[in-house]
Amino acid sequence: MTQEQLIRQLRKLREVEPSHDWVIFTKKRIFAQDLEVKKSPGLLSFLPLFRYKLAFAPIVSVLIIIGLFGFAENTVPGDLLFSVKQMAETAQVAFSSQIEKPKTQLMLVNKRLEELSRIAEDNLVRNLDPAIKAFQASIAQATKDLIEMESTGSEDPMIIKEIVAETQKMTENKQKVESVLGTIIGDTEELDNAISQLKRQTASYLIADLSQRTLSEENAELLNEAKQEFEEGDYDKALEKMWLLSNK
Amino acid sequence: MSNSRKKYSKIYDQYVKKIYRFIFLKVKSAEIAEDLCSEVFLRGWQAYKSQKEIENIQAFLYQIARNLLADHYRQASKTQLVSAEYAPISDPDQDLEEKSFIQSDLERVKAGLANIKEDYREVIVWYYLDELQVPEIAKMLQKSEPTVRVLLHRALKALKNELE
Repeated sequence: MTQEQLIRQLRKLREVEPSHDWVIFTKKRIFAQDLEVKKSPGLLSFLPLFRYKLAFAPIVSVLIIIGLFGFAENTVPGDLLFSVKQMAETAQVAFSSQIEKPKTQLMLVNKRLEELSRIAEDNLVRNLDPAIKAFQASIAQATKDLIEMESTGSEDPMIIKEIVAETQKMTENKQKVESVLGTIIGDTEELDNAISQLKRQTASYLIADLSQRTLSEENAELLNEAKQEFEEGDYDKALEKMWLLSNK
Repeated sequence: MSNSRKKYSKIYDQYVKKIYRFIFLKVKSAEIAEDLCSEVFLRGWQAYKSQKEIENIQAFLYQIARNLLADHYRQASKTQLVSAEYAPISDPDQDLEEKSFIQSDLERVKAGLANIKEDYREVIVWYYLDELQVPEIAKMLQKSEPTVRVLLHRALKALKNELE
């Protein structure tokens, strides 16, 4: 075989070709694999944390929920995330003991008033109506809880003191908001009656308790004054004196 | 389709037959050649989209093919697989058929190519089949042009001897 013949035969090997179908299929497969690889990273895959999606899913979920609740804390009634805030508050009330419930509820009433104050100051007209409704709902719930507390006859002087403090704060806040808005935002008569009843019960309980103790002359005189104020119907002053006595 | 995909698609169309042939003449089995060839282009695409600037894409693809062939033979020697192609065939009719097939000139050249040195086979395929120029081959093999010419001469001689 001459060199020319050999070269001619070698060139015939150019006929060796892959099948046309295989060529097309392989090309598609190469680019399809590329698309699959592209799809796999998540939206936040540039953060190393999100490359291990499954392992970090519970942590990420918890962080998102915490973030959501944190963000919702600054919302006011009428905002999109206000319902999230209310969910957190409902949980707060649900986890309070029966005796602490009215106090927690009154704290929420004050919260609603603070929101109303913010709305009035920032002139957020859209949020005003939902905020007034939220305040009224909250005060109705506080009244209900106080009536329930009276019916169970549970009188913890410290809790009552805190309830009274919250009520005073509420009265002040309400007056402030009403003066800014120039309108009455809700009727608190029922709540006032419930609180007054509670104060009377607490004062009566404290008088009975302190009367059984041996008191110094000065303290005995303070107790007598409290008894007198109680009989006159001034439960606030009577309670103030008895708390003074209890803390001595 | 992105710009780099379009470009690589053209590269694929341009080189797929050459790379397939280059592999096929070494492995002598269409299935293995197809597997290795698709792996060459897949690796090529992964490198291409990440680097973009590949100086000589032809040389780059041939280099991947050479590496894959080396891996393939390393693996094959470890596992001691006996290809059906090389397995003794007991059927006498089939023997006759195969004999007549091997006697064809093309088959003889293919068999001869498989039996000569790796370097010789590569330069013959590149120069006579793929029509690469001596400077291109020299660049791929990282050898001087005169060395490649000598290599080509020796390769052809070796193949001729193998066929005689």
